[in-house]
Amino acid sequence: MSILTETVARLLLAPSIVVAAAILVKGYVDVGDGFSAAVVVTLAIATQYLVLGARRTEEEIPLLRHAPRVAIAGLLIALASGFFPLLFGDPLFSHEPGPGDRVVHVGRLELMTPVLFDVGVFMLVAGALIALIHHLAEPPELEAEADAEAEATR
Amino acid sequence: MQDRPRPSAPASARDPLAWGVALLAFAGFVASLILWRSGGGSVDLSWASELDLRLHFSFDGLGALYALMATGIGAAVFAYATAYLPLHLEHQQRPARDRWRFWPWMGLFTLSMVGLATAQDLILLFVMFDLTAVCSYFLIGFDRQERASRLAALMALLVTGIGAVAMLIGAVILYADHGSFSIPELSRTLQESGAASTTTTVATALIAVAALTKSAQVPLHFWLPRAMAAPTPVSAYLHSAAMVAAGVLVIGRVYQLIEVSQVVLDGLLVVGLASIAIGGAISLTRDGFKQVLAYSTISQYGYVVALYGIGGRAGAGAAAFYVVAHALAKSALFLTAGAVTMATGARKLSQVSGLWRELPVLAAASAVAAATLSALPLTIGFFKDELFFHAAAGRSTALGIAAVIAAGLTFAYTWRFWTSLFLGPRRACEKGASQPLDPLPVLLVAPIAVLALLAFLGGLITAPFAELASDAAAATLGHPAEVHVAYHLDTRTENLMALGAWALGALLLATPGLWGGPARALARAGERFGPNRVYEVGLNFLNHLSTAFHDIEVRDLRSRVAAVLVPGGILVALGFIATPTAGAFTVGPISGTDLLVVAMLALVAIAAIVVTSAHEHVAIVLSLAVVGLGLATVYALLGAPDVALVAVLVETVVTLVFLAIVAYAPRGERPTRRELEGAASRPHRRQHESRRWRDPLIGFVAGAAAFLVVWASLSRPAATERVVNEQVRLTPEAHGLDVVTVILADFRGLDTMVEITVIAVAVFGVIALLRRGRTW
Repeated sequence: MSILTETVARLLLAPSIVVAAAILVKGYVDVGDGFSAAVVVTLAIATQYLVLGARRTEEEIPLLRHAPRVAIAGLLIALASGFFPLLFGDPLFSHEPGPGDRVVHVGRLELMTPVLFDVGVFMLVAGALIALIHHLAEPPELEAEADAEAEATR
Repeated sequence: MQDRPRPSAPASARDPLAWGVALLAFAGFVASLILWRSGGGSVDLSWASELDLRLHFSFDGLGALYALMATGIGAAVFAYATAYLPLHLEHQQRPARDRWRFWPWMGLFTLSMVGLATAQDLILLFVMFDLTAVCSYFLIGFDRQERASRLAALMALLVTGIGAVAMLIGAVILYADHGSFSIPELSRTLQESGAASTTTTVATALIAVAALTKSAQVPLHFWLPRAMAAPTPVSAYLHSAAMVAAGVLVIGRVYQLIEVSQVVLDGLLVVGLASIAIGGAISLTRDGFKQVLAYSTISQYGYVVALYGIGGRAGAGAAAFYVVAHALAKSALFLTAGAVTMATGARKLSQVSGLWRELPVLAAASAVAAATLSALPLTIGFFKDELFFHAAAGRSTALGIAAVIAAGLTFAYTWRFWTSLFLGPRRACEKGASQPLDPLPVLLVAPIAVLALLAFLGGLITAPFAELASDAAAATLGHPAEVHVAYHLDTRTENLMALGAWALGALLLATPGLWGGPARALARAGERFGPNRVYEVGLNFLNHLSTAFHDIEVRDLRSRVAAVLVPGGILVALGFIATPTAGAFTVGPISGTDLLVVAMLALVAIAAIVVTSAHEHVAIVLSLAVVGLGLATVYALLGAPDVALVAVLVETVVTLVFLAIVAYAPRGERPTRRELEGAASRPHRRQHESRRWRDPLIGFVAGAAAFLVVWASLSRPAATERVVNEQVRLTPEAHGLDVVTVILADFRGLDTMVEITVIAVAVFGVIALLRRGRTW
């Protein structure tokens, strides 16, 4: 890849993440939700993989390594926000604050459990897709060679 | 073996995992005891009210009996296992960490038994019932390096699992008829309605079948002897207090439902008697320690099932008492078998004899256990047979005679087992006759002694056991029932029957030549033509059927896609035949932006046709992207920006992922297996010929079905309009402005939850396939 594409890819990463954050935060009042935000983030990361290659991308963004864990954490957050009402004897997905109650705002972000659920969806989808990209980006032949080397050194 | 230090007994005694589970069981026993004495209690939580599903546990008499057994016998068996398991693992040269495959399952086994004992809801009963099956699967298959163990575990799971499905069907039938899963409510309804309808009889019979399968009754008994592949503590627990006991527990729990259908009760009686006879006869012919005991268990639970078949106060009380006495004796005998195997290495009666000189404590303790099982006086076992005789003779003389023969059989096989082990000339295989045996660890003998002591004390102080049985019978019958036991030195019928049974048993023991041949012939016939054979043939047939379908499906990618599309298309077509078509398939007016939509859809159609004729993988992927993005534009034009945004994003990702996958694909068409094997090319070409017609046909069926579905649902938007309006109205109340997001996160939150769970499972499945389970 040329220096131009590399630069563009690097430049795109931060704005994409900001866009994703915006989609996530204002999900309840405008177009978009956790899922779309996650896909936007994934696309940004996928661009890095395409341009820089798997190894360099993962060296430069070491956070990616935690993608499977993020996915599982997201699933747990979503499960928790859905099932916690059971503990108080309410039906599943009884969100807090209830209808008519006041919602605390931090800027555009509304502090309420549906948004938490959406964040869970976001983490799960982003984590899972990035993990998938990681596995598809590294061809199996390379992996097999690495395995063989590991066997030899053992 | 040299480099690994020998796990000494003290080291195993310090294993916190093992002792933790054993102590938990003991704590459970104490708690159960306190709960029983304080009159029990109940928990009733409705967790899915729309489906009438409740977490309803009640610690009544029956619950107390089985909970005490599961935890009490459990504590004894677990204490034994703390010493047994390290030796077992060492014999098999397996690492000590394999105990993690044992103890958690044992703990869960106990817990699920207590849950089953106290469950008051048919669905809950089913769940707990299956939970015990799952635990037993992992425990029976503990020696997973051995094929026999794995097959035995699978057989136990399949046979009892199919039984459990029968139970679920029965529960659903009862729910459909009477509108409740709750056992007390159903009991009340059925008892009030008097004579049972046919559907009720069928439903209760199905539940009874599940219970009989679990209790290994003829003809579904064959899984139990195979399950002896498990380590001895597992067998001991499974036979006395857990898995097999679960079957009769269920009968005791749903007895009031069964009671209204005399047919089912008679069926129980017949099955019970058949199990006593067949189990007892085969037990007399077996050579392996555990095989003798396994068939004995089939026979012993036959007693309990027959007692429930006799029914009434006498039957239910005797059944409850019988279970306790049997559990004490059978667990002690199993543990004895395990201890003898540990000491001598022998597994068969013909390999050992005369062990009493070297293992006097074990011999004495197991003699008490054997006396209990064979109903000798001064043990709790005496009363189990007294109650059995009383109930049988009370029903009819013929049944009384059958009862004496049954008890005679029990006497014979129990003492054949004990005398072969401990009496006669000193013999112990492997170690040689002259070589002294290693002393057994204390923990391999002490639990047996404790169990035997309990059985002996139960013969002297009967009150607590009788009270426990009375409470259990009261819970079973729904009205108070007293179980009275005491010694009577007179010539009442029960005493005479007991004397007759002992005489018959002694006669059988003394004359093995007379009955040995026919009994062995019966056992052989059972192996060759019996239900075991049916199971194997049936499983083989299913395997072949599955393989045949699989071969058709995975022959190539096209058949795999066709395997999804064709059944899907046919099902949709059938659905269309069944639904009325009035109002469907209308063509509305086209105006304004609709023209743009039509133009976009035409583009999509063209791209779709290109996909079918393209040959290069990349071209196919890109055409598919055109299809997807075109549809996204259509959504945007129709005023659905949320859907359009997601569609664009997903389409982009899918295209990228497809391109990445295409990079892996080999260039050109892959040679088929047939070509690689060098077979003649003519049949292959003919296959291509047939494909020319087959593929378009499959595509047409699937496409036409999809087309009809979309057309029909778009023709009738009114059906969903009300729901949509309601959701739009409620959106501000949910603090949102974007209806789609609010629907996803709030109104239909549970759907979203399930969907993302599916995503997670699918992604990790793909990762497991790609990288053999490494997540990164």
